[in-house]
Amino acid sequence: MALRMWASSTANALKLSSSASKSHLLPAFSISRCFSSVLEGLKYANSHEWVKHEGSVATIGITDHAQGHLGEVVFVELPEEKSAVSKEKNFGAVESVKATSEILSPISGEVIEVNTKLTDSPGLINSSPYEDGWMIKVKPSNPAELESLMGPKEYTKFCEEEDAAH
Amino acid sequence: MRSPRTLEVWKLGTVNYLKSLKLQDRLVSERKANLIPDTVLSLQHPPTYTLGKRRTDHNLLIPEAELTRIGAELHYTQRGGDITFHGPHQAILYPIISLRSIGIGARNYVETLERSMIEFASIYGVKARAGHKGETGVWVGDRKIGAIGVRISSGITCHGLALNIDPDLKYFEHIVPCGIADKEVTSLRKETDTVLPSEEVIHEQLVSCLAKAFSYDDVVWKEDPLVILDTQEHNK
Repeated sequence: MALRMWASSTANALKLSSSASKSHLLPAFSISRCFSSVLEGLKYANSHEWVKHEGSVATIGITDHAQGHLGEVVFVELPEEKSAVSKEKNFGAVESVKATSEILSPISGEVIEVNTKLTDSPGLINSSPYEDGWMIKVKPSNPAELESLMGPKEYTKFCEEEDAAH
Repeated sequence: MRSPRTLEVWKLGTVNYLKSLKLQDRLVSERKANLIPDTVLSLQHPPTYTLGKRRTDHNLLIPEAELTRIGAELHYTQRGGDITFHGPHQAILYPIISLRSIGIGARNYVETLERSMIEFASIYGVKARAGHKGETGVWVGDRKIGAIGVRISSGITCHGLALNIDPDLKYFEHIVPCGIADKEVTSLRKETDTVLPSEEVIHEQLVSCLAKAFSYDDVVWKEDPLVILDTQEHNK
């Protein structure tokens, strides 16, 4: 609890605001991750996926910004366990508003777990993009790939710039 | 000041569905590599039923074997959306555009496609509207006049929209169109008494509405479809 309060006041001090699209980033969550340990921080790809790296497991999903821009997700296609994923290559897809959008993996590795809840409840991606809406867990084959991903501050700025182009 | 944005339009006439899929695949790669500008294919298909990624073939009401008898093909695709019919006198647009360069996502893109069709319908005094939640598409009252099914890979779009000008609506009786059972399908012909101009003019108007909705500064028209498709054949 104390950590969250500290994190949220830190977020305010850094003027970490939500992106222009008004989707919220849960800054307290991401800042606490970022400051508690650099390795354990959520990292972000410019295709709007997030990675949570904990030890030998990386959990991947799509960001709050992404789910807001997609609309209500009605269908999720995920890879099988033991299949390989590659950095910046697609590993699955979601369908919303009659559009299927490919999801790209931020890192390379082997899929060790898939969120089967998403088959019956694809909307978890909208309601809980960073927690219950996680998509796959991967054993990274090249942890150095995480270095090239964005941290929360960079990603916020990236979203603002992308939305401003519209 | 942002740099001017150009939309290139390929007027292709009637194109076989599989051929159009191959062409789109090629154009998506080229757009991703920035070898071509945002491009839209303007065309029609011979009688064709298509399914989306969810493969909702329970919404096809006749056996596949029957399809040949009625002169139609069936294709499974990676686009979003349910089952639909494409055929002569239905105007199709397949925009191959980079959503990242305009900073929009799937929802905004689809809403803009809807607005393009609504704007087009208004040229003929037809008051169309966007679908309610879960009913993406364009409607006149409770009758569906325009359908949408899109695929987005690495931020590049393909597939697109289909607007009924004057297709043979009987073909829709063999499916549950878009998976919505209790609603009618309609066409521009049915919704207006206005004399319709040639199909070429109609397609150009629809493209212009799309270009305006997406705020393109310039539209470049390309014809000679045989040349375009032949080039593709040689490069296969």
